[in-house]
Amino acid sequence: MGELNKEQIRKGLQVFQNLSDSKLITHLNSCVHCGLCAESCIYYLATKENRFTPARKVDIVASIYRRYHTITGKFLPGLINARELNEETTDEMVDLLFGACTMCGRCTMHCSIGVDIEYLVRVGRTMLSNMGMVPATLQSTVNAAVETGNNMSIPNDEFIATLKWMEEELIDEVNNPNAKIPVNESGKRILYTLNPREPKFFPLSISAMAKIFFAAGESWTLSTQMYDVTNYAYFSGNPDEARLIALRLWNEMGNLNAQTLVLAECGHGSRAFRWEAPNYLQEHFPFEVKTSVECIADYIREGKIHLDPEKIKDVVTLHDPCNLVRSGGIIHEQRYILNRFIANFVEMTPHGIDNYCCGGGGGQLSMSEYNERRMKIAEIKARQIRNTGASVVVTPCHNCVDQLNQINVFFKLGVRIKTLAEIVADALILDTESP
Amino acid sequence: MYWYHWITLGSLGICFANSLVHFLRLIRLGKPMDYSSPAGKIIPSIQYSFTGAMNPVKKESAFLHLPTYFAGIIYHLGTFLSILMFFLIWSDLPLQDILIYSIVSFLLISFSCGIGILIKRLLKKGLRDLSNPDDYLSNLLVTGFQLMTGIVLLWNQAYPAYFILSSLLLLYFPLSKLKHAIYFFAARYHLGFFFGWRGIWPPKKLERNGGWEN
Repeated sequence: MGELNKEQIRKGLQVFQNLSDSKLITHLNSCVHCGLCAESCIYYLATKENRFTPARKVDIVASIYRRYHTITGKFLPGLINARELNEETTDEMVDLLFGACTMCGRCTMHCSIGVDIEYLVRVGRTMLSNMGMVPATLQSTVNAAVETGNNMSIPNDEFIATLKWMEEELIDEVNNPNAKIPVNESGKRILYTLNPREPKFFPLSISAMAKIFFAAGESWTLSTQMYDVTNYAYFSGNPDEARLIALRLWNEMGNLNAQTLVLAECGHGSRAFRWEAPNYLQEHFPFEVKTSVECIADYIREGKIHLDPEKIKDVVTLHDPCNLVRSGGIIHEQRYILNRFIANFVEMTPHGIDNYCCGGGGGQLSMSEYNERRMKIAEIKARQIRNTGASVVVTPCHNCVDQLNQINVFFKLGVRIKTLAEIVADALILDTESP
Repeated sequence: MYWYHWITLGSLGICFANSLVHFLRLIRLGKPMDYSSPAGKIIPSIQYSFTGAMNPVKKESAFLHLPTYFAGIIYHLGTFLSILMFFLIWSDLPLQDILIYSIVSFLLISFSCGIGILIKRLLKKGLRDLSNPDDYLSNLLVTGFQLMTGIVLLWNQAYPAYFILSSLLLLYFPLSKLKHAIYFFAARYHLGFFFGWRGIWPPKKLERNGGWEN
């Protein structure tokens, strides 16, 4: 890494100024270096490397704060390990905060004090983003979204062709020529979003959700202008880019005059829009936002869709995406859905808000330079899956699906990975099949 | 009042003023303004943050490290007891012998816990790598304060040393990690706010009929 210039340092230190509330200084001043968070982190558990202890990630951000914003740090920096913001510090920050953290938030839950460690990692990432030091691989994903409207730079004609193809699949599957995947239709109840991995790699998950909408008789549409539910700027820590991406989805709701935005199965995407976007934009949503998991649960609860409990005979387990569950509050809905029609449902240990990250979060999937480390930490998840004895792993997150598919191959688990919509669509009882 | 009382009084004033600055800054900056629609309630979550979420059964930092956890709890109780005794010693209130011996016994245990935590920090490489001089100094000052409290309760010749050590501790408090005594409460508050707003805390139980209750 080259020498930092004054402007970079000024921009990096900006995160400690103009505080809007007491959250940041609280967490920066709270860690007591007990180190008891180590065993709650998959990086430490898998590698036993002390430098991956979450407290070390907190400390590198807090040490800079102490250097520039405390009396002791200014006059006796050695006493409290108050560090200069220089090349050595930023190199370590990049490696620890981008390369050794999925921002899963598990350490926060288990911290003896209550330090929001994941939040401080995000602050550290924002510092690096301000200084132009986001890993190029992650930044290119953000750039793709900013420049093309989706993080995989899928051309619009290719996207539309995929939707047409999926519509034909849907018509065949439900045996009804009226079934369709509506596009850019104004005044529908729901605007549905997608993770660009769906049209790019897993188009059948689009038709799976379309089949559920069809069975529920839902009034819905997709947009070809803005359908990307992801927001990798949340991971890169750049609030301006995150705001821009969120604003597009917000505007598209207005353009299509929809009532409810349904977020596709994407952990960080759901979090970034449902919870973070209003704060990026400093506005309350004038429309309803819900995840597709909540949407499916509502359909079942309201009797709009019916599922065949005889259809899936496999032993099924569930992987909880961190941003959807631990930081998003969608904990019971997916279990409610699976318990309606899966006879052999087995929970992982631990699960729910205590579940281990798959290793693909925090933008790790896009940062290929950390691939080896990512697959090393994945052994925790592989062991969890193997211990359930399940042959199907369901997860309501396309990023997790991607990582779990790689885990499946790498650790030779021999399981099938499905999204929630896919397994629900498999068991749907359509009107034509009803007794 | 002796000379050492005056020194301690000055230190107490400086400590109080500095701590007040930290506290008032927290109050001035206030709670987060969240524009997202809440999915839960803040107050029960903050209550949970200070109670159920602190339950050692729920925290890996506790149940995976039970000796350290209990040593930490006893050490903190010893600190609170020493602070209480500080004011009682200063006010020269007479205490019954049985009470003095009970307090000294407990302080001996909490002192041992403090030393044990210090030794752990010195011996475990992971913890040593994480530590800075403040971690050791803070521990030594607080552990020494507990020891001196016990000594001065039995032997009033130690008054000057006790008050000098107390003064050092008071002066060091706002400059060091010891100020987590203020920020701990704010951290639990913010955690409760965050998880409460998103409907994660307090935990809900899944019911058979598919609903869930608090």
